[in-house]
Amino acid sequence: MATVPSAQRSPFPFARWGNWRITLTVFAVFIGAALVSPRSFEGGNIFLDLANLTDALRALVPVAIIALAMTFVILTAGIDLSVGAIIALSGVITARILADWHPAIGLGLHVSLAILAGVIVGLLAGFLNGMLVTWLRIQSFIVTLASMIGLRGLALWVADNERIGLGVGHDAGGLFGTWFSSKPLMVGTWISLSLVFFLILSRTVFGRHLRALGDNATASYLAGLPVVRIQVAAYALSGLLAGISGVLLAARTTTGDPNAGVTMELDAIAMVVIGGTSLSGGRGGIYGTVCGALIIGVVTNVLGLRNVGSNAQLVLKAVIIVLSVAAQRTRERS
Amino acid sequence: MAGALLLLATGCNEAPPPTGTATPPERFLVVFSQCNNAEPYRASQNRRLEELFSSHPEVKLVIHDGQADAAKQIAQIENSIRQKPSLLIVAPLQRDALSRVMGEALAAGIPTICLERDIVEPNYTTWIRCDNFAIGAMAGQWMTEYLTRKNGAPKGNIVEIRGMQGVEGAINRHAGALSVLTNHSEIRIIHDATANWFQPVAMDRMTEALNAHPVGIDVVYAHNDPMAYGAYLAAKEKGREKEMVFVGVDGLPHEGSRYVQEGILGVTFEYPLCVDKAVEVGLRLLKEPGFRPEKTYLMSSRMIARP
Repeated sequence: MATVPSAQRSPFPFARWGNWRITLTVFAVFIGAALVSPRSFEGGNIFLDLANLTDALRALVPVAIIALAMTFVILTAGIDLSVGAIIALSGVITARILADWHPAIGLGLHVSLAILAGVIVGLLAGFLNGMLVTWLRIQSFIVTLASMIGLRGLALWVADNERIGLGVGHDAGGLFGTWFSSKPLMVGTWISLSLVFFLILSRTVFGRHLRALGDNATASYLAGLPVVRIQVAAYALSGLLAGISGVLLAARTTTGDPNAGVTMELDAIAMVVIGGTSLSGGRGGIYGTVCGALIIGVVTNVLGLRNVGSNAQLVLKAVIIVLSVAAQRTRERS
Repeated sequence: MAGALLLLATGCNEAPPPTGTATPPERFLVVFSQCNNAEPYRASQNRRLEELFSSHPEVKLVIHDGQADAAKQIAQIENSIRQKPSLLIVAPLQRDALSRVMGEALAAGIPTICLERDIVEPNYTTWIRCDNFAIGAMAGQWMTEYLTRKNGAPKGNIVEIRGMQGVEGAINRHAGALSVLTNHSEIRIIHDATANWFQPVAMDRMTEALNAHPVGIDVVYAHNDPMAYGAYLAAKEKGREKEMVFVGVDGLPHEGSRYVQEGILGVTFEYPLCVDKAVEVGLRLLKEPGFRPEKTYLMSSRMIARP
């Protein structure tokens, strides 16, 4: 039988050394950001302003959502490089349906169908990734690299290389933008999905299987775990969340952009590894990924508020990634 | 496999075969080496080029997509040289990388038009170009006049949203604007952020700028229209879009020009597609043996504002 990490059996999912470490890091980064934040004319701390904090949260939602399912994929010792391209494809398809299709149905139904199409395309793309990884037994890196290229091409094809503008008017496209870019909706979607994915991982058989598979694939197979189904599900979920993220990004920018989401897969992977999930599979979890997202979101926000140069921002983010992973390794040694 | 895909891709760009007996045969092969189809500005260039040549059935137009890869664009031009086209038009990806191969085309006796961007050696028959510095200066002049109207004197606060660092367009759209703005000590750029030409990134950077400056932003100057639009959406989310005016660059019909018509942008400055001139000069090169074009043609920008 595959060994399930002892942490998994702990009745207190937060009371673990690793979680404490990442929690402390979030607090440290948060306090640091508050200290270096610029002040408003009235002397208030701009970073701590509620409007700014929620802005920072909303800005990280598209990547933070795909990072949730990316955690599942990485727990199985796989990787999904195609999510950025899926975001573009889903956004472009949603935008096409909104901008170029004028059915004689209500606005609500029109918008719903457009969203559904974007999300389903994401799910199908993820499912296809999973099928190729399991049935053809090609490494996930190669499969999702190929679909990253192919799906980006498809997105550009569907959009005819153009950005599809939805405008800010009162037609289906404009209303879609207004309804689905609101802070409560975007942040709420992320929080809900985080909870759902946390519960799936920590409270369901599927969650235990995910970890077991990444920990020792051979043992999982010999133990009779449905290895194929677990993997396909992980990639399908990753595609599904990328589809949702693509729809939200299209709403927020009121544009279906075939070049959207470039390098977002890498940002998502960064959030996952900062959160302590091991790229070799088996170890890590959703709580860490959420913390990783918060760390990146806070750092990005405060550097922007301070008007730090973009090149320096990249260097600082790199330092944070390396430090986080280094901390993870010292934990493993201890 | 890759070859088959390439054939498929180039096949899509070709005009349909002529039908009927009245159509004259194609006498000229024109190859357009586009550095990257996957940019809206360049997609517009391709479309306009196809449109202009479609009324010339004697011309067979083939467009190659360099896919933002200099090596790929070089290889495509090398292949084209073997086909001995009557005319080669190149929108080069990089000024260094494409110089040599364009020289080879010239040496093979192929008239070569360099479109929009410069290359390090003058390896072209003619160069049809735009001037980003001049566009930046026009924007700077407009912002100065706007601030003077708004505040009674040339003073006020600007947020600048920049394109990708180190890229000629971003460098000169910035420098051009600055060449005008620095003459007025009370006009200040209070926040500048890099958004790499991307609308979603511009939204996030503008949100930070808005939070860092709860009041007092007069103008947002973005190096392209999508970023200006992103900045507008960020301000609109905070109900602050009326406080400031948004200035963009590019003026594509379905983007910047539309945003201006809808009152989203205060103004945008056209970055010319250059292809109309390329077709005009190209057709003369094909049909008038003694025609000697000028070494460069400078396409002027124009301001797009609501009447």
